[in-house]
Amino acid sequence: MRSKVLIVDDQEMNREILTAILEKDYPILEADGGRKAISMIQQHQDEIAVVLLDLIMPEVDGFAVLEVMRKQAWLKNIPVLVITAESKAGVESKCFEMGVSDFIKKPFDNAIIRNRVKNIVDLFSYKNQLEQKVEKQTETLKKQYKLLVMQAEKLKESNTKIIDILGTVVECRNLESGEHVKRVKNFTRILAEQMMEDYPEYGLTQDKIEVIVSASALHDVGKIAIPDSILLKPARLTKDEYEYMKSHTTRGCEVLNNVTDVWDETYSKVSYEICRHHHERYDGKGYPDGLAGDAIPISAQLVGLADAYDALVSERVYKSAYSEDEAFHMIVSGECGVFSPKLLECFRKVKKKFEALNQAQKQKQQQQ
Amino acid sequence: MTLQECYEKLQGDYEGTLGRLCSEKLVEKFALKFLADDSFAHLEESMSRGNYSEAFRAAHTLKGVSLNLGFTRLHKASDEITEALRGGEKPENEALLEKVKEEYERTVAALLELQNG
Repeated sequence: MRSKVLIVDDQEMNREILTAILEKDYPILEADGGRKAISMIQQHQDEIAVVLLDLIMPEVDGFAVLEVMRKQAWLKNIPVLVITAESKAGVESKCFEMGVSDFIKKPFDNAIIRNRVKNIVDLFSYKNQLEQKVEKQTETLKKQYKLLVMQAEKLKESNTKIIDILGTVVECRNLESGEHVKRVKNFTRILAEQMMEDYPEYGLTQDKIEVIVSASALHDVGKIAIPDSILLKPARLTKDEYEYMKSHTTRGCEVLNNVTDVWDETYSKVSYEICRHHHERYDGKGYPDGLAGDAIPISAQLVGLADAYDALVSERVYKSAYSEDEAFHMIVSGECGVFSPKLLECFRKVKKKFEALNQAQKQKQQQQ
Repeated sequence: MTLQECYEKLQGDYEGTLGRLCSEKLVEKFALKFLADDSFAHLEESMSRGNYSEAFRAAHTLKGVSLNLGFTRLHKASDEITEALRGGEKPENEALLEKVKEEYERTVAALLELQNG
């Protein structure tokens, strides 16, 4: 608590009169010059409630003391009352400019000085208390915000974990495509980032892309409900078998509906979109709902293309791998599904990135 | 001699000073302390050495002290010389110091009489 009054005056009698007037109300500190004043303020800066400062002193004068107080930011918490008999015009306004709070004029008047000192001490004590309170509250808010961020982080982690668990189930069941899920994730990310840059109208953000990439692992979750005889058949499917195979989209949605309460709404919504609609076509001739154009969620469009590309460049039980060039042309020419022109534009731009990624993953597989 | 008689003799403002400082004891204590104040000697010496910025500070101090103690005449004389010395130049009017000296001596004489009862 600040309670002391520092009296700075080279004239001993002035200090004595001021002390006599104020000592009943405040502990008094005295300095007989500017230099001593500065060192005393430094030493007692948390105890001094107000400085009474004479301007005209030999060597270090009152203006120099003010300048130091301003530079050290002491004036923010310690008010200064200037002791003056100055009649010269301009001195007062110069003092106010330098951050002085008020004046104590000679001749000294007991009642005026006591009131003036009390007013300024009360005002600054109130101001300092308010500042401390605000500081404390800001600190608390910061802590709470940090906690919220940590909780959000934790929630995100558990959302990702659920997807990973489901994804692992898909991988275990669908023997031929253990790496497929990872590749689709990476293709999806490359494509989505290009879309975010070129077509802001889809409202993609880095956060949304993370959700889409993460949820893309579940696009084929419905395949766990397809019997091996169809899923792993090393030949062309019959019409009935193909129809049954197509139901992996809707069957996947049933699986997801069962876990829907467990995780965050954004994750379950995006996972559902991808799972159900990644085989829709831009011309409306896809399945299961025959959605057309941008009625197909952007998440499903992105994963649909990534999935198609990976299927073409990979070896499957029913086909050998196409070259990257062949795969590129088959997608662009519409031989392998119909995609949005905007999406294809992005696909063209990231052709090289897709190829580099494909090569890197092939190499990794060979090493294993 | 009472404090009030002393103020009458040096032609000071007794009522005003008592009103400001609120205590006769305090007024008497500080008035008598003026006897030990060396700002007049300092002013005289600085003037004789031609150090006018030093003289300004001494005159300014004397002006402040006499104002606080209600020594009206001394205050008026020291105020005049302070303004003449502001800027650190030699005052044109050489009678100003004489005037201060006259008032200073009048004041000291009255205070000594008070001190000696």
